[in-house]
Amino acid sequence: MTEDIVLPASREKNAGVDGEPLLQVSKLTKHFPVKGGFPIRRTIGAVQAVDGIDITVHAGESFGLVGESGCGKSTTGRLITRLLQPTTGTISYRGQDISHANRKQLAPIRSEIQMIFQDPYSSLNPRQTVGKIISGPMEINDINPEGGREKRVRELLEIVGLNPEHYNRFPHEFSGGQRQRIGVARALALEPKLIVADEPVSALDVSIQAQVVNLLQKVQKELGIAFLFIAHDLAVVRHFSQRVAVMYLGKIIEVGDRDSIYTRPRHPYTHALLSAVPEVNLTDEDSAGARERIRLAGDVPSPISPPSGCRFRTRCWKAQDKCAAQEPPLIQISGNRADHLTACHFPEEPTIEGRDEDIVLDPALAALEEGQAE
Amino acid sequence: MTSPIDIEGGGTSVVVDGEPGPEAKGEAVKLEGRSPGQLMWVRFKRDRTGVISAYVVGFFFLIGVLAPLISKLYGKNPYTVYADERPELFDSAGVPVQPNGGISSEFWFGLEPGNGYDVFTKLIYGIRTSLMISVAVTLAVVVTGILLGVAAGYIGGRTDYFIGRLIDFLLAFPAQLFFIASMPVVVSLFVSPRDETPTYVRVVALILVQWVLGWMGLGRILRGTALALREREFIEAAKVSGASPWRIIRKEILPNIVTPLLVQSTYMLPNFVTAEAGLSYLGVGIVEPTPDWGQMFSKASTELVMQNDITYMFFPGVSMIIFVVAFNLFGDSVRDAFDPKTAR
Repeated sequence: MTEDIVLPASREKNAGVDGEPLLQVSKLTKHFPVKGGFPIRRTIGAVQAVDGIDITVHAGESFGLVGESGCGKSTTGRLITRLLQPTTGTISYRGQDISHANRKQLAPIRSEIQMIFQDPYSSLNPRQTVGKIISGPMEINDINPEGGREKRVRELLEIVGLNPEHYNRFPHEFSGGQRQRIGVARALALEPKLIVADEPVSALDVSIQAQVVNLLQKVQKELGIAFLFIAHDLAVVRHFSQRVAVMYLGKIIEVGDRDSIYTRPRHPYTHALLSAVPEVNLTDEDSAGARERIRLAGDVPSPISPPSGCRFRTRCWKAQDKCAAQEPPLIQISGNRADHLTACHFPEEPTIEGRDEDIVLDPALAALEEGQAE
Repeated sequence: MTSPIDIEGGGTSVVVDGEPGPEAKGEAVKLEGRSPGQLMWVRFKRDRTGVISAYVVGFFFLIGVLAPLISKLYGKNPYTVYADERPELFDSAGVPVQPNGGISSEFWFGLEPGNGYDVFTKLIYGIRTSLMISVAVTLAVVVTGILLGVAAGYIGGRTDYFIGRLIDFLLAFPAQLFFIASMPVVVSLFVSPRDETPTYVRVVALILVQWVLGWMGLGRILRGTALALREREFIEAAKVSGASPWRIIRKEILPNIVTPLLVQSTYMLPNFVTAEAGLSYLGVGIVEPTPDWGQMFSKASTELVMQNDITYMFFPGVSMIIFVVAFNLFGDSVRDAFDPKTAR
């Protein structure tokens, strides 16, 4: 991260931190069975997509969830909106356990937890007009706003920055960014308390991403909606979230407020993630002082048989025997600020200053670098 | 997401945010979107082959519907035995005296050798019978295909497995052979073999037999479509809002399967017409004196007609070729209009 980035300063402290949390997730796991065998198919294993995570989201707060592809971020989002049924663990919304509630029991909560989807080309029914799409949730929940649903839909379109006259248009007539705004309007239609945004900008053009992120931020601030913001883009999460959790292979390995994660990370994986963010060096001076990178080798291990102990140990440059034997607990290790939890036996220094040398774990990359140096 | 600079360093984004999309600025007062259906209609109207074949197909259906009116204006009906009423038109073998099966200003398409039915009214009533049966089969197949296909695709799991195996099982039957073999069986379910079989029983049996072995193709296609739709995010969005499965099927899935449904049924209908004609030709479908396309072929191939009145074959033959070709071209155009991106 370059130093001249100005962070929005006004809402460093969010209002809802004290008091009962809006959403409390504890020990949540989701295992997808793997079927196999012939002639009788049976369960021969499980993809441990989410394996024992704890998340607390307070009212009005924006909570970021980052991690690389396949680490279980989206599964977590779908579990919280109860599109999926958790294997074990509890999800409680305002103290009410919804982890195994059926559709009828969920009905009163449905309107309070909404979702924004990743792909705006797939999240809108191509056969319905914008008006129908946005008023659909109101119709399902039998909500009749003052002045009728159509008026409300037009208001919502205005809130998300679309022309209310687009009421009778069809999704195929809009661009990706506009479609995502329609998706946001649909999520807002029920006046939710919590919105799970599952990579809401990853499918968009970079120039449009900023608009949509700003829209979400405006919505979050003005309407006081709590967000669970799932993304793999660290910069977007930094811009958007007050608290951030880093996920790796179904587990949360570090969680803390934005400053702690981005300027004082402790977990080696967080260091690796942050160092992977590309930089733009406009002058020679910049490139001279460019920090070194951490380059991890290989892929994330298979979630069907995750490594013992610390799950990151197979790719970690500090791994020792202890890491394989004992799983590090997610705790506030010494040197962390309050509420900054890290799951690591041998944490890094809490800094993002440039390191002395590259850590290149990939042998192919290492050979390449050496060749260049000669 | 590639660069953090675009998000945090871009100063313009704040200005852009909150403004209506660029499309909105220059728009006139009336902003009415065109639905996918309307767009399809626009594309279809541009396709000359499609429009012409649609007119031809429409003409056949019109004839079928108006058959009683036409024959009334024409002054004849397909059941009159002219060999008895007007014996002077026939020779001793029952063949019309005049050439080409007795085509004249009075009998436009001639007379049938043997019983001497009027060919013109027989043809238009035959079209009526054939189309009625085929439309009924198509409707039954469409309803079954939607019910079983969408259920298999949307519910999945065990339901999908059993419906899938049922489809595989039924597809293993040799259809034509099964039709021929089972028609007498189905008919005998309704009436005892010793009694005279009423026409409506034959019609119902024809519809039943073709329906049982006709829905699998459509069912499979709709299962695939529903399976693909189920994974789309707008279905999840509906679920997050608390929609019931019934509502999701009705409001989210059904409107999206209209395209494959229409395309497939326009391909299926001419197939059912020819299959029905085939059965009647083989003698297990509609029999004399009920007029029917296939029954006319059957008649045309008898020795008496074949040797004395070759013209007779042309009327059902040509009309059926025109109908089937036009309907298939129409089906192609419908498909092109619905998904213009797929190359043929």
